[in-house]
Amino acid sequence: MRFELDEDRALLKTSTRELLEKEAALADTRAIMEETPEGYSKALYAQLGELGYPALLLPEDQGGMGAVAFAAVLEEMGRVALPGPFLDLAVAARVLAGCDGAEAEAWRQRAAAGEALVVLARNEDPGCADPGEPATRCSDGRVSGSKTFVPFGAHADALLVETCDGLALVERPGAGWNATPLETLDHAQRFAEIELDGPGVLVADPARAAELLAEAGRLAALGASALLLGLMERAQEMTLAYTTERQAFGVPIGSFQTLQHRCADMMLQTESTRSAVYRAAWAEECRPEEAAYLVAVAKAWAGPAGRFVCGQAIQLFGGVGFTWEYDPHIYLKRVKTLEQFHGSTRTQTAAALSLSIKQGD
Amino acid sequence: MDLQFTPEQEAFRAEIRAWLAENLERTWTEETRDPAHDADSLVELRRAWQRKLHEAGYIGMGWPEEWGGRGAGEVEQAILEAELYAHDAPLIPNFLGISLLGPALIHHGTEEQRRRFIPKMLSCDEIWCQGFSEPGSGSDLASLRMRAERDGDDWRIYGQKVWTTFGPWADWIFVLARTDPDDRYGGISFFLVPLDQPGVEMRPLKQITGESEFGEVFLDGAVAKSEHLVGALGEGWKIAMTVLGYERGAAALRYPAEFGRQIECLTSVVAERGGLDSDDVREKLGRLVVENEVMQANGLRTLANLEAGLPPGPESSIEKIFWSEFHQRLTDVALDLLGPQGQLATGAPQALAGVDWAYQYLWSRAGTIYSGTSEIQRNIIAKRALRMPTS
Repeated sequence: MRFELDEDRALLKTSTRELLEKEAALADTRAIMEETPEGYSKALYAQLGELGYPALLLPEDQGGMGAVAFAAVLEEMGRVALPGPFLDLAVAARVLAGCDGAEAEAWRQRAAAGEALVVLARNEDPGCADPGEPATRCSDGRVSGSKTFVPFGAHADALLVETCDGLALVERPGAGWNATPLETLDHAQRFAEIELDGPGVLVADPARAAELLAEAGRLAALGASALLLGLMERAQEMTLAYTTERQAFGVPIGSFQTLQHRCADMMLQTESTRSAVYRAAWAEECRPEEAAYLVAVAKAWAGPAGRFVCGQAIQLFGGVGFTWEYDPHIYLKRVKTLEQFHGSTRTQTAAALSLSIKQGD
Repeated sequence: MDLQFTPEQEAFRAEIRAWLAENLERTWTEETRDPAHDADSLVELRRAWQRKLHEAGYIGMGWPEEWGGRGAGEVEQAILEAELYAHDAPLIPNFLGISLLGPALIHHGTEEQRRRFIPKMLSCDEIWCQGFSEPGSGSDLASLRMRAERDGDDWRIYGQKVWTTFGPWADWIFVLARTDPDDRYGGISFFLVPLDQPGVEMRPLKQITGESEFGEVFLDGAVAKSEHLVGALGEGWKIAMTVLGYERGAAALRYPAEFGRQIECLTSVVAERGGLDSDDVREKLGRLVVENEVMQANGLRTLANLEAGLPPGPESSIEKIFWSEFHQRLTDVALDLLGPQGQLATGAPQALAGVDWAYQYLWSRAGTIYSGTSEIQRNIIAKRALRMPTS
């Protein structure tokens, strides 16, 4: 048995960390998040595309490296709280690879190379984080319906729309989307409502779409869990540095036992998340029959764990933790968004239970 | 990454399962519910069980062959533990002797001591209890006050030990006693003391479960022979701390196996009552499944890192906090979901099958206290793993 990454994946992780520490420093990220309409660095995403990152989940001959590598990369992206649609794009590229037709293949190539932004459009009910049965239709080459909380939808070049007739590929109309941006608590996650009533092509029939979306949901949940891990890890490091440097009553506040115990709990949550996330990633590659269960476990755990760790970070920073200027709020906001999407904690917890009962049989 | 057991390890698991099917006639829960049993007969049953395990070669598996082991790896030991707990097998009476004293003798004892004590410890012809904690020295163990005084070549021991598990049935006790009042750590020595002698008084302590599985022992001039000092004079603290760190992996999969069985029992009762239709109930049960599986992931990671020869990190403290606090959450949820039926005492004819929930509910309060309280474990993580400043 071996928990550590093998050489190739460890190298990928290290080089990703170096790249992101250089190109996605928090100070730069903050400016981009606050000042650009899309909320992320298109230049950095182009660079990630050239380096093959969005292709990570594709088959090996199309540049894929498997779920463990994917988790390792997303952990690094979580550490720097990388804004933007990377997870959505990587998952959409994978879905496209399973779709039919030349259009899907063309968009798959562009998405995998980072030349186009393609995302899934699934949710229709803003009161429910987990997509239900779609009412959106695709017939006679037209897609009509409305989608909400489409990640980076307003800036996407194409959408993979879940409809009751299957999965439809919709290119951004010449006049642009009929999209309404949604302002949410994490201003680095740009969601949009999109009204669809225009041309689209069916790229997977309902049965195939269900398969592809189940797989996509699992991979997105794994990716979100890995992002949560990275976010927690960095929030913990920031907190440790702060409690060592910040003095009160003439001593570093990190010498107080209450704070030490909080930090110990942060570590317990973070390290347990690491165990769960990488075990799930490993299962995705090597134990497909257990993957759905172990991914559900990882996501159900990582969401509340992330909320705890990043919440503690703000608490331990004290008043400055509540300011816009200090960084902990970026982490707190991101974990809350990630906890809700890609299988909310409630949904994943219920899934873990029912899958555990099935496995026991 | 590779979290797969080898075919040999899987074969070992199959061997244990077959052996248990053959040899474990009744689960521990069933035994404790049998009105024909009393505390003494249950200890005898455990003794017989340990003997069976020993004859099959399953006790002290990680030890060198010379001392009755088979030089098994941490993974095999973890698999054995997991299977024993998953099948609700009785706990062996000498678990502290096997996990602490055995390694102490193998690594720090004399050849003579190993020959004299190890075989009977393995076969359970002698039951050992542990004498570390004292009424005034729990978490701050090094403040212990039991003292050993020279008496010719031998030693006379004075003082009190407490929380001595299986003390009322033990033949011997291994104690930490002070041989130098002025040296906090270097003044502690490790002695083996027979309990059947003048100057020994063992008093059972009634636990919150109503049992008296542990006790307190008063030594008033009891003799420890010169050849029953383990290691050198003043090495007791060092030896105790080293043996506490041995076999880190053996328990890695134990608690997920034990609590996994309990969660399955709980789920099947709730399912039979139609409770799984409720979102609230499913969420509570699901959370238990999730936490238990994350604990399993931690355990697998610990084993994998041990196999890879990585230096120990904070995992044993994380593991201890996790399982002990989780057991409290688990039994809280169980008693909530089961209703008053969950409160039925061990042996009550109306009790639910599989698990004595009321007993577990009470017993779960012990885990966060013994072997280093949750607070001590958090101190260890903060200081050793996070290197937080000291005041």
